[in-house]
Amino acid sequence: MTQSQRKATYGFTGPTAVAIREKLGQGLALAALGGFRGLAANALMLQAHGAWEEQQWVRVRSSLELATLLQPRVAVFWDTASWHLAWNAAVAAERYSGEPSETRRRLEARRWVEAGRSLLERGTKAVPERALLFQRLGDLYWQRLEDYQAAADCYRQAIAKGDAPPYLERFVGYALEKAGDKRGALAYFRELRAQMGTPPNPERKPEVVDREILKLEKELSVQASAKKK
Amino acid sequence: MMGSLRRIGAVAGNTFLEAVRQKVFAVLLVFGLVLIYGANYFTEFSFQEQFKFLKDLGYAAISLTGLLVGLLGATQLIPGEIERRTILTALCRPLRRWEFVVGKYLGLSILLAVMIGVMAVAVAGVLGWKEAHLIAREGSDPAVAALIRAEARDPRLIQALVLLEVKLAVVAAIAVFFSTVATSTTFVMAMTLMVYLIGHLQSVAREQWLESGEVASWAAKFFLAGVAFLVPDFNLYNLIDEIVAGNAVSWRSTLEVVGYSGVYIAVLLTAASVVFEGRDI
Repeated sequence: MTQSQRKATYGFTGPTAVAIREKLGQGLALAALGGFRGLAANALMLQAHGAWEEQQWVRVRSSLELATLLQPRVAVFWDTASWHLAWNAAVAAERYSGEPSETRRRLEARRWVEAGRSLLERGTKAVPERALLFQRLGDLYWQRLEDYQAAADCYRQAIAKGDAPPYLERFVGYALEKAGDKRGALAYFRELRAQMGTPPNPERKPEVVDREILKLEKELSVQASAKKK
Repeated sequence: MMGSLRRIGAVAGNTFLEAVRQKVFAVLLVFGLVLIYGANYFTEFSFQEQFKFLKDLGYAAISLTGLLVGLLGATQLIPGEIERRTILTALCRPLRRWEFVVGKYLGLSILLAVMIGVMAVAVAGVLGWKEAHLIAREGSDPAVAALIRAEARDPRLIQALVLLEVKLAVVAAIAVFFSTVATSTTFVMAMTLMVYLIGHLQSVAREQWLESGEVASWAAKFFLAGVAFLVPDFNLYNLIDEIVAGNAVSWRSTLEVVGYSGVYIAVLLTAASVVFEGRDI
């Protein structure tokens, strides 16, 4: 795959011999270019782990970026990397006692969350056939950015991949509900329940879906009757 | 034809036994210890990462050990025989030179296959041990236990082993080719390692060179095409990384790489036989 093809597919160019040599140091570069790319990437993950323990967030980020650059097809690397940036680094920035201004702390935290999001978006392009990174991107939108509509979209994409955990299909409805789209959530849960057929697979928890439908119907009918009055 | 096969088989069997007697398998003990140490090292990571690290470590250890055994074995094959003059007693019998070369190569390949097999069993054992350990610790949820089992018992790892075997077989064929040309074992090792590194770097270098726009002349393009033709592209075996990462790799792609390797091995052995035929001993 050429650099331009890689750019078109993944949204970034990926490693070149020169970039790898410049950033990795001689030992790791030789390992990466000599057929032991996996080992070099693992060493970088270990470096990132060490830097995380020391709360050296810039080092964490650079090691993780390089590890994902060396092995862009390893979904678990993108997952761990985004978790470190959007959760650990962002929370550390929020709680940083050396910065008295809360606004600045929040802005810094937001930057780390955005860095995690950007990383995950690249990850979804690098490993588009698996649900994991779409699910994690949905989690990030939900838990870190509170963009529930985007979270629902990501969960939908994750489900379409076919290897998502069974509980994730309910999270689309939950996210829509959190986004304020109760009618959309109700329609989604009804459609989901209809898809389950009879008898439904107990792993898909039809009783939970039924409960959600009843709850939403009740809430929406209460709202409708309040409007009539 | 049957006579040729019998003679090649005899040379191959003899080469294999000779290598085994040189205590090559002692390295397997070191390999097992490295793996067991590695299995305990990454416990602070998620189970997916632990398995990834363990598989990478296992395959890298197999690859490195196989590379060293292939290199050292090949350098002993023909230059060693010439040095000890034992080649004269072999070739004064009704044994053609190409049969000698092919037999030596097959013996080395059998040795590599057995080593890879034994090391693969060790990797499987450590993965099984890790699986039991993780299930005892984190597998109270049946879904998590199923995921741990799927990671540990991934059948695609067999594809990775096949790819590793053919990669090392190509390296051994390169070493055998150089051992028919050279008289010095250092030369054989240096040249084989150089080809191995060029094989890994050539596609990256070609891509970089072509995209930077520096390769304008037809001569430079011809040179690049020549390198690509003469040196096997070892980046093709990076499918192993895909498998270790848990991504699907079709058997078709694997068999295409096996076919590519087969062609290189055949060409290298033919070239080695031709060179060895005209060599003064």
